[in-house]
Amino acid sequence: MSFNDLRLSVAPRLSGVGNVSRIVEAFGEENGLAEPQVYAINLALDELIANAVTHGFADVTRPRIDIGLRVDDDRLVLTLTDNGAPFDPTRHAEAADTESPLEERSADNLGLHLVKSVADRVSYEFSAGRNHLTMERDLAGVAAWRRSGTVVGRGAR
Amino acid sequence: MDIEVAEERTEETLILLPVGRLDSANARSFEALVMEHIEGGQQSLVIDFSRLNFISSSGMRVLLIAAKKLQASRGTLVLCAMKDHIHEVFRISGFDRIIPIKDSRKAALGVTG
Repeated sequence: MSFNDLRLSVAPRLSGVGNVSRIVEAFGEENGLAEPQVYAINLALDELIANAVTHGFADVTRPRIDIGLRVDDDRLVLTLTDNGAPFDPTRHAEAADTESPLEERSADNLGLHLVKSVADRVSYEFSAGRNHLTMERDLAGVAAWRRSGTVVGRGAR
Repeated sequence: MDIEVAEERTEETLILLPVGRLDSANARSFEALVMEHIEGGQQSLVIDFSRLNFISSSGMRVLLIAAKKLQASRGTLVLCAMKDHIHEVFRISGFDRIIPIKDSRKAALGVTG
């Protein structure tokens, strides 16, 4: 397997995110990705793994999370598959609070707001008992999080 | 999992330097450390990001809790020396409008004294 097409099975625990990040950093180095690109991937992975581990596996005897990461022409493609409760982050919209003054500010939904902000495209399907999430980030041009406009955060499952 | 955090002091201000990653695996340990200082009466806090390469929403949540606590007790929290890609995440989260972020530690200490 070449290192521009990474596949990884992740321990379904919060403590797993550090190890994943080191592998993603090595992937970034191998593929000449700039630091903000690597950060965007690791940020998305931290949020998505934490969300699955915290909310997805209550009724699952053998939790499993698989990750794929590849450079596809001028895009980074991150896929995350898990056998947790069905959860479609592209629906279930609940906005993150990015406006309230400090005393009223909530951090709810912030993680998925960040995932959507660092991605140019996010798609989801549930098939064969698994959540399949695909996140794409363009390597050239202006990334989504540089564009102005409303970005809607998504509620955790 | 614990996060490594260096601590320095001026007369009034405690400066915390988290090292490496502040993520969903170690945010709780960082929260416990920060809250221990605030509940122990520390009113003036600078968090210096110069040795931090990564923060996720779990880490930002801790900063929000700390900022609220300090505001309620008329204390001060200032962040400084963020890498550009981290600063960008604070901007898209709207955190830059509720917690002061300075370029350098010197500028941060200019706020806290």
